[in-house]
Amino acid sequence: MNGDGRPAIRLTGVRLATSHFQLGPLHLEVPAGYVTAIVGPNGSGKSTTFRLTLDLTKPDEGIVEVLGRKMGGGKQLELLRRIGYLPEEPYRHDNVLRGMDKAEFHKAWYPDWDVNHYRELLRLFEVDHSLRLGKMSKGMRRKFDLALTLSHHPDLLLLDEPSSGLDPLSWRAMIDLLHRYMEPGDRTILIASHVVEEVKRLADFIVFMLNGRVLGMYEKDELLTGWHQFYFPGAFEEWRGVLSGMPGLAGLEDAGGVVRAVTSSAREAEAWLVARELAPAGRKSMELDDILAVLVEREKLHRRQGTKGVMQ
Amino acid sequence: MWMSIQLNEYSAEPLYHQIEVQLRALIVSGQLGEGTLLPSIREMAQHLKCSVITIRRVYQDLEAAGLLVTRQGTGTFVAKVDPEERSRHRLEAVIAAMREAVAAGLRVQCSDEEMRELFETVLREAKENRSPPAESEDSGSGKEDKE
Repeated sequence: MNGDGRPAIRLTGVRLATSHFQLGPLHLEVPAGYVTAIVGPNGSGKSTTFRLTLDLTKPDEGIVEVLGRKMGGGKQLELLRRIGYLPEEPYRHDNVLRGMDKAEFHKAWYPDWDVNHYRELLRLFEVDHSLRLGKMSKGMRRKFDLALTLSHHPDLLLLDEPSSGLDPLSWRAMIDLLHRYMEPGDRTILIASHVVEEVKRLADFIVFMLNGRVLGMYEKDELLTGWHQFYFPGAFEEWRGVLSGMPGLAGLEDAGGVVRAVTSSAREAEAWLVARELAPAGRKSMELDDILAVLVEREKLHRRQGTKGVMQ
Repeated sequence: MWMSIQLNEYSAEPLYHQIEVQLRALIVSGQLGEGTLLPSIREMAQHLKCSVITIRRVYQDLEAAGLLVTRQGTGTFVAKVDPEERSRHRLEAVIAAMREAVAAGLRVQCSDEEMRELFETVLREAKENRSPPAESEDSGSGKEDKE
């Protein structure tokens, strides 16, 4: 289904330093045939990772491989033609062009340009491509750019905050479209998104990024069913010692008369509690942003302690 | 019919297991008849908002159990389940559900006696409230193979 199991993107020991930002060392493997979502706060290096993948930015060190080929090697053009890239911000220098003019450029650039698919996407999104790009609303411009990105049937899609500016109906159409794009089984999406629901609906794998590094990569369903929080009535001091051995313990805090314990291994934690006849007063699954918040908190703590936080 | 599969997001029970139990029950009970085409892995994942990894695992497990067959290029279908198999599978699902119920009871320290009492009560309630068996002729799948 997913070819020879080779990743669609592989970053090995990639480093990049600018005057205000340091990325890496970055190790990341994006599996072919799946949707992988990068989640992380602003400035964590998501967009830079996209640019490095496309060779728009050269790394100081490290190796970037895409669709089985080394970036910066030969036949670069051929390789880039198999990719669809939707940057976070639209290119402003295109503003004077009409949509149809920009489409002509794409047609010339991509041998696999499919005008029927392009028209179908414009219809789906109700985009008028006779408008100048600068005159389109933010949402329409986004939909137009998305249509362009998909019209040459790329093997790999890089989407940087694709839904910014989309209304709820267009958003749904986009989600559906991306699922249909994935249907053949050998295509790959790497998406950066702040929208929890979007990640939940699309992703097979989730990568957490912070401060230019990867905190961890998880299978989505395992992640979301693994992370739970338990509540215990009583004083923090009482519970701290008791719960310190709870499997997967990732956070313990005083929530005002109630102690909240976060675990990344809910099933093991549950069995552990039952074995000790400890009954929590309540439990809840966690959303992606809750999990991210705990990971970020923990990383900060590691940094303060100077242990160069390796997440485990 | 597979649309009736529902997931409990708040459970620590792995999603693949939740889905597998329900899909198996639908097949074994004959609600999904022999030859029914299931949605593709990606479609099922989209519908249930889970990853394709989870769905692939479910399909593979049920294929290994002989309840599904995948024909290259055409899709995944419900296999022919022979009556003997069916009755075995039939009970498997019930046993699994009972195990879960018992586990839930143990979690809140139910005594054996309480547990038996609860079972009797629930059984009685179910029988009292049961509406006449619904005939689902409207689905139009035309593949009824009840014995």
